[in-house]
Amino acid sequence: MPHTKFPCEVLTPEGEAFNDEVEQVSTRTTLGLIGILANHAPLLARLEPTELRLYRSDSEILRYAQGEGFMQVADSRALLLVGEATPIEELDRAELESSRARALQLLETTPEDSEARARAARQLKRAETFLGLIGADARH
Amino acid sequence: MATQREVRNRIASFKNIQKITRAMEAVSAARLRRAEKRIAALRPYADALRRMAAQAASDAGPEIGRIPLLATREREEHVGVLLITADRGLAGAFNSQIVRSGIQLAAQIESDGARAVWFASGRRGISSLTFRGRELAGSFSGYTDRPGYRDARRIGDAVISAFLDGAVDRVEVIYNAYVSPLNQVATRATLLPASAAAVRAAGEGEAGDHKARRALPEYEPEPNQLLRELVPHYIEISIYRALLESAASEHGARMTAMRSATENAGELIQDLTLAMNRARQAEITQQILEVVAGAGELA
Repeated sequence: MPHTKFPCEVLTPEGEAFNDEVEQVSTRTTLGLIGILANHAPLLARLEPTELRLYRSDSEILRYAQGEGFMQVADSRALLLVGEATPIEELDRAELESSRARALQLLETTPEDSEARARAARQLKRAETFLGLIGADARH
Repeated sequence: MATQREVRNRIASFKNIQKITRAMEAVSAARLRRAEKRIAALRPYADALRRMAAQAASDAGPEIGRIPLLATREREEHVGVLLITADRGLAGAFNSQIVRSGIQLAAQIESDGARAVWFASGRRGISSLTFRGRELAGSFSGYTDRPGYRDARRIGDAVISAFLDGAVDRVEVIYNAYVSPLNQVATRATLLPASAAAVRAAGEGEAGDHKARRALPEYEPEPNQLLRELVPHYIEISIYRALLESAASEHGARMTAMRSATENAGELIQDLTLAMNRARQAEITQQILEVVAGAGELA
């Protein structure tokens, strides 16, 4: 059964990644995976690096590697502000691997409980999540 | 007096210089347009982020005062100075005015009894500071004519960590604000702590009437926790904005510098052409005089 469509906008600091009607948005907040359908209750949430799926219909699903960010749902509109939203097939494996290596090195050298270490951990999470998406994409 | 051949060679070399400066001006003009587009592309994101921060701030209530990135420190022992310069020169006073403002600010910080901690973006700033014997706590380069958000995040990681981990008590940023292709203004702004008032006030007015008719949203996580996460993001966006403005200013400054270089070369060519014509005329006059004198001898 087709779902009701609602407007969804995905913005990054470098420009608009998506702006159209969708049936469902699927992403990850600090509490876990979340699916947004039309007429969802108002929400303001922090997003974690994950696979962002935008369902234009049951058969047409856009998949992005989504960085950290925020999502606002209000008046049955979804607005996602994310650091990056890259179509999964455009991810750069070499860049992600070197980012992961840098993050691992920082985790070794920065003191515990420091902000620098917390940031390195987030960098690692992003790199590993995105590398996992490339792996999953290759298996499709 | 220079011979005609010498003058002709100099004219040829100025014409070559003119071709190069004219080409560089055209390249800068094209890059400037791209940089302007990138500033425009950031705007909707930055506006939406400010609105979200303002909404979270109004729902978080007095908690906002306890967010470390928004708290002014009573004693300032170390003040971070982040200079945003370019990787390349040939852009007039673009880089030197940033370095000069930075050095002035450092002198002021030191006279207030604190120490300056340097951060620099752009090879020009890094090398100027290193040349002056200043130690850099963070240096970033390789992107200044086309900065990405990722570059801003790298700088943000460094300065935000330095602030939260206690290495600096305040961070000032100095960059060339983009006014127009002809006008770039060296601008100083306090990056950290971010102004709580600015976070709260952003989107006020519209936030007010939105709130009246809108149900309190669900928060994931709680509003004050969400705000804690939003503020660093907000600071990274401020850095990204400064990088973009600096890039546009760089192209504008280079375009202007190259245009005046082209004009100067044109003037020199004109002067030299005049000199060459004069030399040629003098030679002809000389020859006529010699012929006339020779004829006089014969007569």
